[in-house]
Amino acid sequence: MTTTVAPAAQRPRRRPASVNVRRTRTAWLFLTPALLILIAFTLYPMVQAVWLSLTDYNLIRAAEFVGLDNYAALFADGAFWNAFGNTVLYAAVVAPVTVVLALAFAILLNQRFPGRAFARTAIFLPFIVSLGIIAIAWAFLLDPNIGLLSYWLSFVGIVPEQGWLTDPRFAMAAVMMVGIWKNVGFYMVIFLAGLQSIPVDMYEAARLDGAGAWQRFRSITLPLLSNQTLLVSVLALIATLQAFDQIYVMTRGGPFFRTETLVTLIYREGFENLEFGYASAISFVLLAFVFILSMVQYGFLRRRQVTY
Amino acid sequence: MKTQHGSVARTGGRLRTLAVATAAITALTLAGCAGQGSGGGGDTNADGKIVLDFWNGFTGPDGPALQQVVDDFNASQDEIEVKTNIMPWDTLYQKVLTSVAGSNGPDIIAMSATRLPQFADEGLFMPVDDFYEDPEHDTDALTESAIEASMFDGANYGVPVNFTPMLMYYNKDLFQAAGLDPEAPPTTWDELAAMVPKLTVDENGDGKPEQYAMALGDHETVPIFPSLLWGTGGGVVSEDGTTSTLGDPESIEALEFWVSLVKDQQASPIGLNGADADKLFQTGKAAIEIVGPWMTTGFDEAGLNYGLAKPPTGPTADATLADVVSMGLPSNASDEAKDAAYQFFAYWNSVEGQTTWSNGSGFPPTRSDVADKVTESPYPVVFGDPAITETARVLLPGVAAGGPILQNVFTPALQRALNGEGTVEEIFTAASAEVQAELDK
Repeated sequence: MTTTVAPAAQRPRRRPASVNVRRTRTAWLFLTPALLILIAFTLYPMVQAVWLSLTDYNLIRAAEFVGLDNYAALFADGAFWNAFGNTVLYAAVVAPVTVVLALAFAILLNQRFPGRAFARTAIFLPFIVSLGIIAIAWAFLLDPNIGLLSYWLSFVGIVPEQGWLTDPRFAMAAVMMVGIWKNVGFYMVIFLAGLQSIPVDMYEAARLDGAGAWQRFRSITLPLLSNQTLLVSVLALIATLQAFDQIYVMTRGGPFFRTETLVTLIYREGFENLEFGYASAISFVLLAFVFILSMVQYGFLRRRQVTY
Repeated sequence: MKTQHGSVARTGGRLRTLAVATAAITALTLAGCAGQGSGGGGDTNADGKIVLDFWNGFTGPDGPALQQVVDDFNASQDEIEVKTNIMPWDTLYQKVLTSVAGSNGPDIIAMSATRLPQFADEGLFMPVDDFYEDPEHDTDALTESAIEASMFDGANYGVPVNFTPMLMYYNKDLFQAAGLDPEAPPTTWDELAAMVPKLTVDENGDGKPEQYAMALGDHETVPIFPSLLWGTGGGVVSEDGTTSTLGDPESIEALEFWVSLVKDQQASPIGLNGADADKLFQTGKAAIEIVGPWMTTGFDEAGLNYGLAKPPTGPTADATLADVVSMGLPSNASDEAKDAAYQFFAYWNSVEGQTTWSNGSGFPPTRSDVADKVTESPYPVVFGDPAITETARVLLPGVAAGGPILQNVFTPALQRALNGEGTVEEIFTAASAEVQAELDK
């Protein structure tokens, strides 16, 4: 009895398995090009960089193994801690401000009003343009002698004695502002998509129950946007911790390293001081930092994930 | 990056077929290779000529003059073709090591004598002492200090492209408007300091002058500021390049004078880079700038009424900054590429090459025997005046840590001092220890 049942039970089990195998194979085939690119351009360089961070490599001389010397030197390096502090400051200001602003814009631009399409485009546009170009444009606007923005500000009595970008008091604020302005449109679009997927009848029901605008926002909009908020916050945090382009173009990390973030420091150590091993070590510390923060953030926000 | 025409045409067809036939990744890799141009070995092109990729940073009005000499050289023989690849100096310094390491880089590299030792120390360059030993290369007439500028650790790693002192450009109209004699520019620091209150003008009294006495860059510029330390007998490092002298009383004295002049007297805006400084002088918003001959063309085109004079001398020593650009060979250059490059080096520094270069660029010639042939431009004679060139010094020659010292220590310290983040003495005493640490690395 049992001997006849077993194969009978196995046969139908094997058939869906073979479908699964075929599906899996198809999936892998589709994934292969992307995976190859990831392996060649992300994974391989990363593994290579781990090795580099343990050497004194300079690109031309053969790399000499130095163990954890780079990491030890790093934690005693004032330049590293300065860049670390700047990075944390930049992320702590830019990430929350960008997310809140993006949400505000999304809610505003979800209403019907004349010129809505124009406003949406205007806010999204900076995201499409290369950050390098944007940074050059802003550097011109902020130029103390020929800058349009500096000129306008002079009418209201704000006259920077030197350029905004070379004044240690304002340089960080200037690169932060450009960082926010650049990315807010992208996060706005994500929020906007989220807003439009919230069923309208929920608002109607709430309104019938006498809920005011603030209450509707608190009890419907915000909770139902949790998925988007999670995504946007993680993206914004990672992006700000890796801030580089506009800082490099606008201030080069100056004046006297006031705007130098970890990635600008990595660039300086690698391509200007020609210490590639040391630069790789810094990049791994940054990687670890970003990874831990993202996990914490993910764990915290995931509990609020919603399906509807 | 420029590639030879022949190779573009050939790989273009192959690429298209491949891109269709194989996965995207293969095409990407190939496209990366095809775009890189000739390698470190001095490739030969379709006509069988050796092609030398010449990287340099002559992005200014001096670029066409350089190109002219290169074109003349290419036309003068049929074995070698030099291709110029002109990019900003900063870009060149950041790209050159990766490119040479990847064997798809330049065959000839030009760079400032202040930066060359750092790269020579990293193993980028090969010594070119044998170039000077060959009498055929006719190097006896070359300016001695131009040749010495590329010495590092007992070997010579470069052949001069240019040697020029920095001169003081002053705007005669602004001098006149300030009630100063337009034919009597300041000759000493004290004379300059006395003129600053007249030349810095804040008409509307908002605290930000509309016109400055000087345009003095403090970062990303020809290193004028560190050279000012020589005026009191100070300097960034000792003559032998082993000891920091940045904290010495002489250096502090000079720094206190200039920081106070800029910060307290508003002689110059703070935070200018080289391009800002040029722009300020060019638009008549600054009366004085100390810079090299490459700006003459731009200032002439802007219609400025300016004079050229030796920069004001310091209280104890008379020294001006010399700008030397040398060209060298990557350490992995083949013998064939090296021989070809030597022919170009010899042509560049020949009577013919230097006559074309000086006439076109305003730079003084690298050799003393062509002065009478340079008649098209008035500036080579002014910049090549022996009274000035004799006092001209290269900043930090032969110091491997020269680049890092200027970028990571001197410039940030100067910016701190100019922004009042401490006294000059505090800041530069601390900076001196950092310089010593860089030297001891």
